[in-house]
Amino acid sequence: IYQRFFSIDDLALPRTPLLSPVVPYDVHIPNSSNPETTFNLQLEVKETCGNFSSVDLSFLPDELTQEDIDQIVNQSQPEIEENGKTLSRPSRLPFPSKRDAGLALNSGSGSNSHSPLRPGDSESVRPSPEKQHFLPLTSLTPMTPMIPVSECSGIVPQLQNIVSTVNLACKLDLKKIALHAKNAEYNPKRLAAVIMRIREPRTTALIFSSGKMVCTGAKSEEQSRLASRKYARVVQKLGFPARFLNFKIQNMVGSCDVRFPIRLEGLVLTHPEFSSYEPELFPGLIFRMVKPQIVLLIFVSGKVVLTGAKERSEIYEAFENIYPILKDFKKA
Amino acid sequence: MAYQLYRNTTLGNSLQESLDELIQGSLNTYRFCDNVWTFVLNDVEFREVTELIKVDKVKIVACDGKNTGSNTTE
Repeated sequence: IYQRFFSIDDLALPRTPLLSPVVPYDVHIPNSSNPETTFNLQLEVKETCGNFSSVDLSFLPDELTQEDIDQIVNQSQPEIEENGKTLSRPSRLPFPSKRDAGLALNSGSGSNSHSPLRPGDSESVRPSPEKQHFLPLTSLTPMTPMIPVSECSGIVPQLQNIVSTVNLACKLDLKKIALHAKNAEYNPKRLAAVIMRIREPRTTALIFSSGKMVCTGAKSEEQSRLASRKYARVVQKLGFPARFLNFKIQNMVGSCDVRFPIRLEGLVLTHPEFSSYEPELFPGLIFRMVKPQIVLLIFVSGKVVLTGAKERSEIYEAFENIYPILKDFKKA
Repeated sequence: MAYQLYRNTTLGNSLQESLDELIQGSLNTYRFCDNVWTFVLNDVEFREVTELIKVDKVKIVACDGKNTGSNTTE
């Protein structure tokens, strides 16, 4: 049975080992007799880490905390090291026997298995039904190849704020909304919009008489959409023919901690085209990355804020880009 | 210049003071319209030196102090 070799574009997933257990995957294993695919495997593995531009990471659970990640990394550590060795030797290929096709495995040669379920198992591994933290393996689920942990940061920025807009497509009587809706503010002298808030998801909306609305404060794209829909429903219940047109995420903000202090002065000297650091004005260094177009606020403490993204992957990509640079400027 | 206040309110991620109050449990709803604040609170204790009054629901209507303001509770 010929197995089609996957290409980077096909995979909708990052190839960081710490993320792989959470990810649906299967094994598209190249035919062992085809040396070209071997070569491709090598190339792709090298390129993967950091190339997030076309990657859709929306599968990631929103609540994935640093602890979860540490756990996942520790779990998959044995496989990672084994695979790191495997992948560096072109002649030894991580292929399962054909009967095991469609599953992620630890074969005798040390396959690119990222099945934290049975790390020691050298035969085919079927995910145990009880451990349904992971999606069932089928021949259609995409695979993430293993990459040595040292190549990736092992840190995932957490989303803190999403700003989105939507058009309710009808003129609104703001005073009526302010008087009848719960948790609304309307002060036309200051702002020509009603400021409304809901508890779940915890967000704030600005609703304009044109029918356009801005929703801020959500921690994920789905939450932002859900919150916007809730506001639209409130408006609808007040008697307006509200619709939900052109929902769009306008900005995403993420943050994380590299856990070491950073020499900002050094960073601004080596990257003057991108950095702006005026400690008398603001204690953080402002790094304007070109690709992806993200602005990062980098602090001496090692905390990093990333903003300006339209998609989650841009945040992740920007962080993976900056991490090696930050490591170079680790203090002491 | 007029937009600075705008910036303040669009930062929905910070200063969700009203909602923080909500989560602390007491504030049920708030409203601000025509320069009048209306709050509805639940499970409130009014404490005076001599007395303690507990109520399930309080509606507070408050106006600006500069004009002839009135505070009424029902």
